Amino acid sequence: MPSKKAPLIETIDLCKSYFNEELETPVLFDINLTIQEGEFLSIMGPSGSGKSTLMHILGFLDNPTSGKFLFRGDRTKSLNDDELARIRATRVSFVFQAFNLLPRTSVLDNVMLPLLYHPTIPASERVERAMHAIATVGLTERATYFTNQLSGGQQQRVAIARALVTEPDIIFADEPTGNLDSTSGIQVMDALQQLHDDMGRTIVLVTHEEATARHAERIIHLKDGRIASDSKKFKRVRSNGKGKLK
Amino acid sequence: MLLSDTLATAYRAISTHRMRSLLTMLGIIIGVGSVVLMVSVGRSFERYVLDQIEAFSSNLIEIYPTGFEKFGRTLDSLTYSDYEAVSRLSTVESVAPAIFVTEKVQYGTEEISPFIFGTSSNFFHNYGQKLASGRLLTEADEKSARSVAVLAHQTAIDLFGQRDPIGESIRVGSRSYTVVGVLESLGSALMQDMDTPVYIPFTTARAATGQKELSYMSMKSKGDIDLTIADINSLLRQRHGIVNPDGDPDKDDFRARSAEQAAEIVGQVTLGLTVFIGLIAGVSLVVGGIGIMNIMLVSVTERTKEIGLRKAVGARKHDILLQFLLESVTLTLLGGIIGIVGGAALGMLVAAVASKFIGTVPFVLSIPALIAAILMALVTGLVFGIYPAKKAAELSPMAAIRWN
Ligand SMILES: Nc1ncnc2c1ncn2[C@@H]1O[C@H](COP(=O)(O)OP(=O)(O)O)[C@@H](O)[C@H]1O
Ligand SMILES: [Mg+2]
Repeated sequence: MPSKKAPLIETIDLCKSYFNEELETPVLFDINLTIQEGEFLSIMGPSGSGKSTLMHILGFLDNPTSGKFLFRGDRTKSLNDDELARIRATRVSFVFQAFNLLPRTSVLDNVMLPLLYHPTIPASERVERAMHAIATVGLTERATYFTNQLSGGQQQRVAIARALVTEPDIIFADEPTGNLDSTSGIQVMDALQQLHDDMGRTIVLVTHEEATARHAERIIHLKDGRIASDSKKFKRVRSNGKGKLK
Repeated sequence: MLLSDTLATAYRAISTHRMRSLLTMLGIIIGVGSVVLMVSVGRSFERYVLDQIEAFSSNLIEIYPTGFEKFGRTLDSLTYSDYEAVSRLSTVESVAPAIFVTEKVQYGTEEISPFIFGTSSNFFHNYGQKLASGRLLTEADEKSARSVAVLAHQTAIDLFGQRDPIGESIRVGSRSYTVVGVLESLGSALMQDMDTPVYIPFTTARAATGQKELSYMSMKSKGDIDLTIADINSLLRQRHGIVNPDGDPDKDDFRARSAEQAAEIVGQVTLGLTVFIGLIAGVSLVVGGIGIMNIMLVSVTERTKEIGLRKAVGARKHDILLQFLLESVTLTLLGGIIGIVGGAALGMLVAAVASKFIGTVPFVLSIPALIAAILMALVTGLVFGIYPAKKAAELSPMAAIRWN
């Protein structure tokens, strides 16, 4: 039975390997990580350290090879494709580095896309919900524009609105500023910050930029597929007076 | 995902790539279009032929001498007394005996080789021939075996040009005949042959050729044509001493035939044509279907990112499967509809143009053929859409994110 205070996400000795034909490429090793509801967490690390891989597993896009992955205290082992899809439709959402918007499609239609696959939100509420999400990222005036008529920063804010529209438990953002100039990057980070600060959303931000990561309350460093440091543990440990050890 | 959403998604994918969609549909459009065109042209001409048969020879019965063992020489089983006996049947009227005369016809320096019938005035009635000028053959001509001739429309023109043939003298073989009448043209391409013969009295022809037997006879049925033919068959079998209760045509030495039977033959020919067209349709739809599958496969590869994204935001396998399947079915259905409209329009044009040359060709659209075309387009979309759709459905959501 999950206790009432069960963390949103908990992994225990989670490992991930990629298999290409016979060849095994181990990418993640013994990841032990707990994410509480309402946290703004940043995963940092050099390119190839496994940040995206970890995010994909936490976001139900991919399955771990071994170890436990609990969501609200529930084991998520052996979920089939459709069950994973259902969770993605309702519980989690993503903001990608490359925006991944549908071209030649309006901002409104892009933001409504996840609602098409949502099992409970009625069709009659779609436009209202989407417009609300678009307003949150400040693009109301652009709602009828095609996404390819927008700047990079605006496109990423459309992606944030799309991530927001289903009111998921957690939003994953994988290098959301990676394709943006610094001004646009700041706007996008402000939008994410606002989701957390004003709306209490749980956000996991993957980045390799120190400046971007600083928006988060908690920073995890990955190195070669292992957690090299976790500022939360660090804080907690430090408050015990043993912080310097880590 | 709601079906209406899936439909809207498929529709949008098609309408945002108009040119490609059109090219994709081209195979189906051409396949369905050519089938609809061929079927409607076939049906239109069938109707045309049947209309002509109906107009010129309703209730017409012709009796020919036959006989396998006599093949190769003049068939001599129909006699003049057969003619007289048939004339006495209550179920027929307007019986006309006929002898074919094979001679050249001359007027001045003009010489032609038309059909020459030695026959009676009933003949003109049987084939709906109308007089343009002069008179038809009469009983008096018949009784005294006069050397008179009636010319069909085209023959009169060929021999006399603009001059009036009435009262002029023509030569048929070595004899001289006075032209007493000219017929109207039937004005039908199908019945063009009917505008060329020369008609002389039966008795005159018999004397000229020395042939005693009939080449054939024609008549009108008064009541049900099949009953009349049965009447004729039993009369002639009795007269010829033929026992043929099963109606085996090989045992008879004559054959009584109605124009309705000719119409049945036309129907059989068009049926054969329809089967042939059906085969072409099958082949062209397979070709069109392969085209669609090809483009859909390319489309799936091109849209890996879109598919992955849809999955990342919660699309299940069958949402994607349905989306792509509906897309290909919509393409084939749309192609089918365009093909039908195009094929029917062309068919209408063909009928209109043909009408200018050969008399009214009614445009006939075969509704069963249209329904079959739509169904086949639908099935093509399903059969050739399922593989690409499955491929799309199996794509991992990671494909979108890792794709660059
Ligand atoms: N599908 C795959 N098959 C094999 N190796 C992969 C695959 N995807 C990623 N990797 C490898 O896993 C490692 C971690 O990749 P990734 O999680 O993308 O790192 P990061 O996001 O930190 O740059 C890299 O070495 C990468 O080459
Ligand atoms: Mg990455």
